[in-house]
Amino acid sequence: MQKVGDLNWLQKNYNFSHISFFIDELIVLDVTRGERNPDLFCKTLESLTKGCFVPIAAGGGIRTVEQARLLLRSGADKVVVNSPLFSNPYLIKELCQEFGQQCVVGSLDFKRLQDDSYQILVESGTKPLMKMASDELQSLSDDMVGEWYLNSVDRDGTGQGYDFETLEQLPKNWSVPVILAGGAGNASHLAAGIADVRVDAVATANLFNFVGDGLKQARTSLLNSGVELASWPDAVDFSDNRVAF
Amino acid sequence: MEAIVSGFLTNTMRVTIVDFGIGNLWSVQSALRFLGYDSVVSTLPLEVEQADALILPGVGSFHRAMMALHKSNLDEAILEAVKGRGRKILGICLGMQLLADSSTEDGDTQGLCLISANARRFDIQAKGQKVPHIGFNQVRSSSRSILFKDIGSGADFYFVHSYHLPLEGLSGHHGICHYGRDFLAAYENENIFATQFHPEKSQTNGLRLLKNFLEC
Repeated sequence: MQKVGDLNWLQKNYNFSHISFFIDELIVLDVTRGERNPDLFCKTLESLTKGCFVPIAAGGGIRTVEQARLLLRSGADKVVVNSPLFSNPYLIKELCQEFGQQCVVGSLDFKRLQDDSYQILVESGTKPLMKMASDELQSLSDDMVGEWYLNSVDRDGTGQGYDFETLEQLPKNWSVPVILAGGAGNASHLAAGIADVRVDAVATANLFNFVGDGLKQARTSLLNSGVELASWPDAVDFSDNRVAF
Repeated sequence: MEAIVSGFLTNTMRVTIVDFGIGNLWSVQSALRFLGYDSVVSTLPLEVEQADALILPGVGSFHRAMMALHKSNLDEAILEAVKGRGRKILGICLGMQLLADSSTEDGDTQGLCLISANARRFDIQAKGQKVPHIGFNQVRSSSRSILFKDIGSGADFYFVHSYHLPLEGLSGHHGICHYGRDFLAAYENENIFATQFHPEKSQTNGLRLLKNFLEC
């Protein structure tokens, strides 16, 4: 994780609503450690997602149905939950009942240990769960959420490629869509992720992928090499003043 | 309704987005604003009844949604606007299913009966597909379709749903998507329009479709 700047910096340097036309979905996570400010996060979310006509998942610190509802009314289509998967599964059930299973993304942070086994971290990656990852996951059911987001804490931010062994930690009978995250530094990493049959989507938060035309080029390169990504017209003029990239 | 004098908002059509407490209304409103249309998000039956055009977005449970529509009398307001006054309506995602006859989600519930179909769950066992159906997928459409004008058949749109409407026995032009089986991706017949996918989440294809609905 790297601290880079505030929203104004982000919008100024990365022209976010432009970048959003080269991705399939956006995930916005409040990874604040310590006291969070949900209102500020919602306002930031609203502002960030203006001009983003793409599905948006938001989360970080969701502990109540009302917090989730606030995010959903601030531009999010789905909510991302992490710690409550283990500490309060009843909340997950409530979220699914209230908003629909497809509205809830379960996020798992994996850490690889010295002996090559895996741990799951909760509370913004600060607290490890007691049992081995594969054992902890046996106590969950895959369809308690609509999608799973698997993040490698070790690879995150390194640009060294995904850790495919995190997928090995999932119970074999799981069949809910999986998003792989943590470590992608270029288009070939993204391609390797998509090529794996266990993976339904690949995610990147590496800002080098956001600089200039990095994302657009990565997408074009994947499409050209035969990867079946969605496509849409590049630059479309909708009115006197509005052009969508 | 007065035209709003600004650089971008130039349209005077009264578009009302029905708010029954469930759904991401901000994104729909945002997309409309981008296209140059102001819209009202409303919980009031009278406002919904008097709309020039209605949009019915929705996510979540069919049963809860119909209960919410019924409790607030928005179900009657929608029917009055659409059947009584002939105003056009666009149902999006769960909103499309709510326009149908019924759904088995959370028990058997009656819908608004504007589309002659019954919503059913995707059968994961039979086809080995993951449920929900999430992500971009291609929609086949007719060249005579209003919604898909200037979009072309096979364009990608964003889907996120576990229930769907089957194609059998429907009149009008339809968009068709395949996920294990062909299912209804888009519906248009007279003043009733609906999409299973989210046009406000489907990049430029979706923006174009929304524009087509607003301008028809």
